[in-house]
Amino acid sequence: MNAVFSGLTHFQALAFFALVVSVLFAFLSKPVASERWKYALWSFLAFLVVAIGIGWLMYPFSQ
Amino acid sequence: MSEAVKVEQGTGSAALGVSAAVAGWAVPGLGHLLLRQWTKAAVYFIGVVGLAWAGLAMRGGVFGGNSPDLFDRLGFFADLGTGGLYFIAHIIQSAGPDVAHASGDYGTRLFATAGMLNLLTVLEAYELGRGRKTAGGRIR
Repeated sequence: MNAVFSGLTHFQALAFFALVVSVLFAFLSKPVASERWKYALWSFLAFLVVAIGIGWLMYPFSQ
Repeated sequence: MSEAVKVEQGTGSAALGVSAAVAGWAVPGLGHLLLRQWTKAAVYFIGVVGLAWAGLAMRGGVFGGNSPDLFDRLGFFADLGTGGLYFIAHIIQSAGPDVAHASGDYGTRLFATAGMLNLLTVLEAYELGRGRKTAGGRIR
């Protein structure tokens, strides 16, 4: 199991983080299953879009 | 009858709230297990332990409590939120931290995030145990 996690790419690490945090936030804040999954999906996608967006915004500074 | 309704109808008390909170801090999800919230207990356990384990496997750093740096101390409190996992972190992470690489830096954040998420679940377990949180998620 350690080998799996130690070999994650940056994007895979981001996706794993976003998935776990989104699901836990959904269970903490929404009481109904359908609402939870909708919230988790939106939160997961928001994590990815914002992270990739910030990554692109910072890209010029890495040159 | 749903799990949430069972808790709502139960008689909450300060002792049950504190017991659930302490149990939930020591072992992620155990507080909800005591309150018979089976699904939440399983999700919180898998989520928090998975995130913490990933952080350690990525050779993230675990903050000690004796650092003079304020940010390190904040990191220590975040890490301490993982409860029992904090104290066995050095066993899981036998190779030690390696924050010189991006992977190790990510691991540090993942472990701290696991601690913060567990503290949120502890707070919820306390509110449910006290009977102050309803099935609809409202605080009484």
